[in-house]
Amino acid sequence: MITESFNPFIVAQKQFDRIADMLDLDPAVRDILRQPMREIHVAVPVHMDDGKVRVFRGFRVQHNDARGPYKGGVRFHPHETIDLVRAMSMWMTWKCTVVDIPLGGSMGGVICDPHNMSLGEQERLCRGWVRQLRPNLGPLRDVPSPDVMTNAQHMLWMLDEYEALTGEKVPGFITGKPVGMAGSLGRTEATGYGLIYALREALKEEKIRISDTNASVQGFGSVARYAIELYTRLGGKVIAVSCWDQSDKKPYTYRKSSGVDYEELKGITDRYGGIDKIKAQELDYEVLSGDAWLEQSVDVLVPAALENQINKETLSRVRSSVKVVAEGANGPTAPDADKVLEERGVLVLPDFLVNAGGAICSYFEQVQSNMNYFWAKDEVLGKLDWKMTAAFMGVSELAKKKKLSLRDAAYLISVSRVAIACRERGWV
Amino acid sequence: MAEEQSKIPESGLLKELRERAKELACLYRIEELLSETKKDTSEVFQDVVQAIPQGWQYPEICHAGIFYEDSVFSTPHLKESVAQHQAEIMVQDIVVGRVVVGYTQDMPEAEKGPFLREEVKLITTIADRIGHFLLHKKLRQVFDSSEPDQGVRTREWEVAVDMLKKTEPQLYTRISRRMLNHLCWIGVPEAKELLQRFVDVRREDVTGEVNKPAQKENKGDYRRPIEEIFELSSHKLSEREILALVQKWIHEDKASSLIGPMLNLHSSWKDLNDAMRRFRHHRSDGVELSRSTANGVKVALIKRFFSDDPSFVHVAKKYVELDDFFDVMERVVHPTEAYGRLGGKGAGIFLASMILRQSKDRFPEMGEIKIPKTWYVTSDGLIDFLNHNNLEEAYERRYQNVGKIRQDYPHLVQVFKNSSFSQDMARGLSVALDDFGEAPIIVRSSSLLEDRLGSAFSGKYKSLFLANQGDKKDRLDALLDAVAEVYASTFSPDPIEYRSKKGLLDFDEEMGILIQEVVGKRVGEYFFPAFAGVALTHNEFRWSPRIEREDGLLRLVPGLGTRAVDRTEDYPVLVAPGKPNLRANVTVDEVVRYSPAKIDVINLKKNTFETLDIDEFIKNVGSDYPAISKIVSIVQDGMIRHPMGLTADYSLDQTVVTFEGMTRQGDFVNQVKAILKALLESLGTPVDIEFAHDGEFFNLLQCRPQSHSQDQVPVVIPRNVPERDILFTARKYVSNGKVPNITHIVYVDAEGYSRLSERTELLAVGQAVGRLNRQLPKKQFILIGPGRWGSRGDIKLGVKVTYADINNCAMLIEVARKKGNYLPDLSFGTHFFQDLVEASIRYLPLYPDDEDVTFNEAFFKESPNILGEIFPEYSHMGDTLRVIDVQNVTEGKVARVLMNANENEALGLLADPSTGIDTALEMKESIWGGNKDHWRWRLRMAERIAAQVLPGQYGVKAIYLIGSTKNATAGPGSDIDLLIHDEGKEDKRDVFIRWLDGWSACLAEMNYLRCGYRTENLLDVHFIDDQDIAKRSSFAVKIDAVTDAARKLPMKGQ
Repeated sequence: MITESFNPFIVAQKQFDRIADMLDLDPAVRDILRQPMREIHVAVPVHMDDGKVRVFRGFRVQHNDARGPYKGGVRFHPHETIDLVRAMSMWMTWKCTVVDIPLGGSMGGVICDPHNMSLGEQERLCRGWVRQLRPNLGPLRDVPSPDVMTNAQHMLWMLDEYEALTGEKVPGFITGKPVGMAGSLGRTEATGYGLIYALREALKEEKIRISDTNASVQGFGSVARYAIELYTRLGGKVIAVSCWDQSDKKPYTYRKSSGVDYEELKGITDRYGGIDKIKAQELDYEVLSGDAWLEQSVDVLVPAALENQINKETLSRVRSSVKVVAEGANGPTAPDADKVLEERGVLVLPDFLVNAGGAICSYFEQVQSNMNYFWAKDEVLGKLDWKMTAAFMGVSELAKKKKLSLRDAAYLISVSRVAIACRERGWV
Repeated sequence: MAEEQSKIPESGLLKELRERAKELACLYRIEELLSETKKDTSEVFQDVVQAIPQGWQYPEICHAGIFYEDSVFSTPHLKESVAQHQAEIMVQDIVVGRVVVGYTQDMPEAEKGPFLREEVKLITTIADRIGHFLLHKKLRQVFDSSEPDQGVRTREWEVAVDMLKKTEPQLYTRISRRMLNHLCWIGVPEAKELLQRFVDVRREDVTGEVNKPAQKENKGDYRRPIEEIFELSSHKLSEREILALVQKWIHEDKASSLIGPMLNLHSSWKDLNDAMRRFRHHRSDGVELSRSTANGVKVALIKRFFSDDPSFVHVAKKYVELDDFFDVMERVVHPTEAYGRLGGKGAGIFLASMILRQSKDRFPEMGEIKIPKTWYVTSDGLIDFLNHNNLEEAYERRYQNVGKIRQDYPHLVQVFKNSSFSQDMARGLSVALDDFGEAPIIVRSSSLLEDRLGSAFSGKYKSLFLANQGDKKDRLDALLDAVAEVYASTFSPDPIEYRSKKGLLDFDEEMGILIQEVVGKRVGEYFFPAFAGVALTHNEFRWSPRIEREDGLLRLVPGLGTRAVDRTEDYPVLVAPGKPNLRANVTVDEVVRYSPAKIDVINLKKNTFETLDIDEFIKNVGSDYPAISKIVSIVQDGMIRHPMGLTADYSLDQTVVTFEGMTRQGDFVNQVKAILKALLESLGTPVDIEFAHDGEFFNLLQCRPQSHSQDQVPVVIPRNVPERDILFTARKYVSNGKVPNITHIVYVDAEGYSRLSERTELLAVGQAVGRLNRQLPKKQFILIGPGRWGSRGDIKLGVKVTYADINNCAMLIEVARKKGNYLPDLSFGTHFFQDLVEASIRYLPLYPDDEDVTFNEAFFKESPNILGEIFPEYSHMGDTLRVIDVQNVTEGKVARVLMNANENEALGLLADPSTGIDTALEMKESIWGGNKDHWRWRLRMAERIAAQVLPGQYGVKAIYLIGSTKNATAGPGSDIDLLIHDEGKEDKRDVFIRWLDGWSACLAEMNYLRCGYRTENLLDVHFIDDQDIAKRSSFAVKIDAVTDAARKLPMKGQ
């Protein structure tokens, strides 16, 4: 019965098996890539505020470091399961590899609910986690970064503990740090810009001028915002944006056929990223239902908020004008809908490739930290453009050559690169 | 009295006082001279005459002389005096000489020629003293024995008593009676005998012309009973004791004459005010009350000012001092003939401030607590206002239907605002305004019903902020307008509807008003406190299992506290004072999303109350905002940073209100904790307080028993529910409240859910829930599902929904099933915790695998599933997602969830929708309001009895209710008076009486259980027949009477 139910690790393995079949990998290579290289489980005792000691279960799953040090998030979640973490460490390997950054994938965390913990307790937990995993972490071994319910603050506590243990300043030990504390500029823009860099290349290959296109965007968070900003700057026209309304507790789509003005929209946005409905109307935006973004006659759809948005049920509402779907969110297109879109000739830019801008920037933070020299924002974004463009071109080329979907091509490239690294290191 | 006093010019009053002081000084001086036993008599007399003139009104022209035997001792010009008065010196009832006082010039007429009444008394006293002096001398010569010291002291108390006898014979009698009592109590046998005689004499006194004639009759009878009392006491008590006692009694007697109006619960505010002023004045002269009297006065004043609820009085008298009332009295505005009280809010804040004052030693961490300056308008100000403007018919409005009331209300407000105030009220409010100056003020209702019913009324009446700027006339107009508007709110639809539901419509609403200075600081054109909020001793919304109910709850907002008190679209910051570090919101996203977005301030320039965007406001005022670094944090680089050093630029940074600096550093949380603890301990009931903090000081604004909005009242968990009707029970993390009318249950089956193998299938469950949320009757369905609703973690472990997918449900239930040895944590709704709180969606975790609970899985899994009928496209999910139409499945029953945090117990059950739910609140609330609705359940029971009897059964034709139950005045010991109209046949009556006796005994037992009052029977039954009715004899007169008519109760089938 267990095997029947949803298990993210099994999903990830099935995905891998399919690609491995396509690549005709030999069994040993499959074996090594099909599961993590190493899993470390630790017990982290924490002195709680009430004087009691609680022991938390923590772990780190390191999938593959054939191409470079591990890199992956630290999650604090009460229902963390080892299979989810295994799956995510594997996806992290593919993600880093597809954009060709010299890192391997890992993932880790602690079973805990920060909602039941004070900041002091969380700090002690962070430090305890680093103490337990100290031999397996390091700027050249495994570099943690923030993930579910951890943020820059947790990273700084962990960094501080690591430095205390090693007696050295090691800013490259961890990423997600604030600017000025060995963080990198450009991190906020990275994912949104990366998405548009890839979109730009995709349109180029389709021989479409970006300034002749228009788009509809779901979401107005940091990914969507910077995507809109850059896309508009490049001449594209966003005609609809859907956005959560905090007071009405539902999303609305804001439409302006003449094209939305990014600065104008930003000016009427509250800090939750919500657009002021009244002010939007005053500025001649039509206020439509939350899912209206999906049914616009546009060239490009940018789902940059939630997963499973384009699915069997909603698919029929996607207009035939749509040529490209750029997946800004994780998993916005359901697998069955993915197939239909492919058949309809819609180009789906796969999430793990086109939203990898964040991961790339994180790598840049690592690089800058290791040399303790920090670049100007332009330099960061310039390098990001170059990395993203190169990655997309590689994937696209393969897809064309082998007549594959971009998603499959991206996976093929990743798996193939890691497999080669394993082989050439003489592991298999 | 006050008017009389005010007619006397100030100089006159002072003069009078000065005269008194002179007289006393003179008497003391003479006393001193006369105790110089070593001096010659002539020498002493010479000194005495020199001293006498100082006691008279015009000492410079006053002369005195003593004529004794053949000698004359006098001041030089006595002979030239134009006006004289004198008193005889007696020794053992024989005149031996006289004292003479005279003026050498004509002086204005007083009571006795130019002499004052007091001066006449004084000269008599002096003559008397001299008589004693001579007697003493004589005795000394005779016996030459007594110790000189003793002699001096003897005279001291004798002087006092003698002076009393002459000047205030009634007081003299009372004092002697008290002395006699005292002697009896300390066990002096002779005193008992004297007591008998004293009583006899007193009886004569009563028949005679009170004392004077009796004295004449008995002249020469040296051994009168009263004298004997003192004689006896001088043998039994030391001189010092006697003197102390006499002095004490004189003071007490004097004081008690002053406190009459203070003890009288029905005295008007004016009389009370006068009495208190006089008392205070005399007290500065050393007049004190005995402890018991002081206590009595205190209790009377507590009742008079605030409430006669015994539990309130009981607590208040422990903490309140007499002086406190003087302070309050200074700031009471009342109509001329006012008899009202100061209302619930007034009582709450007064008592709380007294408790906190006395608790400081026990809770040093409480620090300095301020109470803003407060003025009170008595509750009958409203009636005065209505009468003054002939608006009495406003009272009739409450019987109209609510729709009509709602429609008319805006007009009524206008009428009220265009009405005027009586002169007394307007003058009083003007004085109050002078006291406040140009400080912003808030006008709040302080209803008498508020104390009856806990705070269920809170928020139903108005509170108005006034910027109070500009010239006096405008400010006064604004204040009068505000008071009128608060008065108008008494007649607004919501409270009327509420009162009608509670059966209180017939009680005239009396509304006190509280005018408080607004706490805050001026920043630019704005005025506001750094922050404000509400603190509760009991936390009914725990966001973590580590938080206990007793950890309390703080709702904090920047600026004025309105946003913390009311539920708005906004989110106050929640802190549990017992666990301040466990915050409801943890991730950066949560902290930002669930933080206050607006701030309420007073705009001094525009004279208005304003709600502003907090981000913009902080950008504008920046670091001028008081204590800003303790209130906001900076969101930057994916973390919440504490403003420090130069890191913060409030005009540029993205700030978020977290109160992190307030709660993590400094003493604020400890201070609140101490305050809550002190109040909880003293009042013995959970309380909530409102406060405001100006950045430096904690200001207490209000205190009342913890408010329970309708759905957060602890309910009685019934014990006799048949097993088949129980859906589930819970014994962990239970809050208070009820969800009474559940018609639909949306149940996500844990096994079915875990069997789903595709992520899209799992997501689809959440989507289906979202659509059900929009389809099912609002607030009549509940969601029950495994694990964590809305979790962003592993989707397997909880249905993925957003708040919008669940916002119409009445309750969210998370079920934790054991997986092997592992019991998963539940979310406690943390993902949208504050949304749940603000929308009053209840949350409950269930642990079906615990031993002491029930979980009727069969009901949830086997009841017909109507999901497919509602949404055919989801019918394939039937194994996972089940929608149960409760009424359909149970033939008309509804599901109910009853929760009682006090017992930490919850029950989900199936019930008939018409059956009531008993709240456990009535008992709890008695601290303020008392269990005053004895009549209501009596009425209910009377109705039930009548409904059991068929017309004609036992020969009964009709059943009526009369007396206190009918009139809603029943107390704990009241009977239920039933009037039975029957055929008048004795045999049938006997059977019926026996039947009623059973009821009566049971009801008496019920009454005992409810209020502890023990009686044998509770029914008082009166029978009448057709003849009685025809003759309108006996109780039959009550039937169809014009007033106080008997109330006919419907019988079975009627």
